[in-house]
Amino acid sequence: MNEAATELPWMWAGLAAYALATMLAFRSVWQLGSSGAMALPSRSSERWILMFLLCGVALLASALAVRWMRLGHGPFVNLFELLMSQLFSLGLIYSLVYWRVPRLRASAVVVLPLIWLLGTWILFLEPADSLFPPTYSNNWLWAHVGFGKIFLSFCLMAAGLSGVILLRTIPRFARSISHMSDEALDQLAWRFMILALVFDSLMLTAGAVWAQDAWGRFWSWDALETSSFITWLSIGAAIHTRLTFKLPIRFGAVIIMAIFALAFATYFGAPFYSEAAHKGVV
Amino acid sequence: MMRWLASTRLTLLGMAMLAMGAALSYGNPDDVSAWVLIGPLLFLSLNLLAAIITHPGINRRPGLLLFHIGLLSICILAAIGRLTQFEAQVEVSQDGAFDPATMQKIKRGPWHTDELEKIRFVQQGYTVEYRKGLVRGKTRDHVLVPDGRGGWKQRVIGDDTPLIIDGYRIYSTFNKGFAAVLTWIPTQGEPITGTLHMPSYPLFEYRQANTWTPPGSEEIKFWLRLETGYDLKKAWMLDVNRSKGVLVVNDGSKRRELRPGEGLELPGGYLRYEALSSWMGFKIFYFPTLKWLFGAAMMTVLGLVMHYWSKFRHEPLAEGDAKEAKQGNSMFDQKVTNV
Repeated sequence: MNEAATELPWMWAGLAAYALATMLAFRSVWQLGSSGAMALPSRSSERWILMFLLCGVALLASALAVRWMRLGHGPFVNLFELLMSQLFSLGLIYSLVYWRVPRLRASAVVVLPLIWLLGTWILFLEPADSLFPPTYSNNWLWAHVGFGKIFLSFCLMAAGLSGVILLRTIPRFARSISHMSDEALDQLAWRFMILALVFDSLMLTAGAVWAQDAWGRFWSWDALETSSFITWLSIGAAIHTRLTFKLPIRFGAVIIMAIFALAFATYFGAPFYSEAAHKGVV
Repeated sequence: MMRWLASTRLTLLGMAMLAMGAALSYGNPDDVSAWVLIGPLLFLSLNLLAAIITHPGINRRPGLLLFHIGLLSICILAAIGRLTQFEAQVEVSQDGAFDPATMQKIKRGPWHTDELEKIRFVQQGYTVEYRKGLVRGKTRDHVLVPDGRGGWKQRVIGDDTPLIIDGYRIYSTFNKGFAAVLTWIPTQGEPITGTLHMPSYPLFEYRQANTWTPPGSEEIKFWLRLETGYDLKKAWMLDVNRSKGVLVVNDGSKRRELRPGEGLELPGGYLRYEALSSWMGFKIFYFPTLKWLFGAAMMTVLGLVMHYWSKFRHEPLAEGDAKEAKQGNSMFDQKVTNV
């Protein structure tokens, strides 16, 4: 462990809060499943899940602020920073939607474990300090990163709803997550996919403008650019497939999960073929 | 025919071809033809055009129409750009003019018409800011460009501030270094003066060496011992005008240290070290549809947002909340009904 990494206690506390929210989401669904009730998780459970989520978001925001002040730059460079900022932004956007869109709350049992996947991953990483490259001192970076975070969050929500559709093939979950029909979940999931396409398009455009300023070319087919373009195409193709063929709902859910997996691999896999988030980082 | 061309099945095929073209283009390999991308883009352009004309589901919905026109524009502009693009790298010595013949790593689209002779600029000098830990900051590269009245005017460019001449965008890069200006005065014949570029600095700070064989003589090894203020532990500025360099010359039989203005006798002539100089590596980029592409991308996103708004404005995401709240199912009854 890096002794100077004073952000770690904040981060651990934030992850603990997320873990509590995740366990609570599972517990409420599991209990409902075992009781055989055809009902929603209780209001009290939902309230606690949201409270733990918001606590986690606040604690992770503190961790990011401490690290930012310590290093003098934002969490944009190495994998540890990217994961920590994604944990914050996914938690924040999901909390807001969880609060405002109750129809989405059933997805907590899928979304929170996915967020926790990142949480587990970051625990295995060294909180190595990073150097801020001059190519990152560009306002378009903010737009690119911001749109990217919203894109991934919407993708996650669509994946969460699709995950619920698939989970309901298991009898125990079918009983406990029963307040919305598969059709309604499917409609909502694809709505989030369209929103994801909007923000993915904005992310790619802002990234291209930034790349032109930073490296003198707007697109160079590095690992991240190739993978993100294929992700964008996949979303477009998936929406067209749904329009062209009458897709079975479960198959549509599998497609959305696959797109989320691709977006996830683009974010957290492809950049690190080249040691840093973008090839031109040095 | 148009209806067949407008088929969404063909759209899916075009998208699959484009994804394959993107995968083949990974890493910009030299041996992959530009047509792996241009082909699918043109195919999708035809498909989109037919869909826009024939599909009432598209042409009667303003948002969706704008979205598809935007996509069509992107496909056409990207294809034209890819066909006519140009990329290259070039090193230019201080006080030297850009020479297209010295360009390296050239990549040009099949329809690129060379207008590189229109590019005229003279490299002067540069400063580069470094933060603690040798983190490169802003580069300010000074160049002279024709002022249109027969004279020259100075411009300051950088890694993110290009010099734009006839659509060619010229950027300074991290690849820059020092050079020694040498004059070779042969025993018989005319003296020649030129610059000997040393490896990129400070990337190869530890080996500022090069070799040169004067006409009618033997290979000479050069090493440049620099004083630049280079410091890993604190911020500093690389400034050629404030740097000093002693040139160490070794012709195999003797080793001499030369300061600017000094020289030495060698077999076949006299070598004089005139001055410490520098060179800058530039990146040249040409993509004529660049700004139009940005406009088309914005149009596409605007169209998609308009379509989303028109389709779902009567069905807000939180609509279900109000119903649930009335039924007493939601924990946030009051807030939800206020949406």
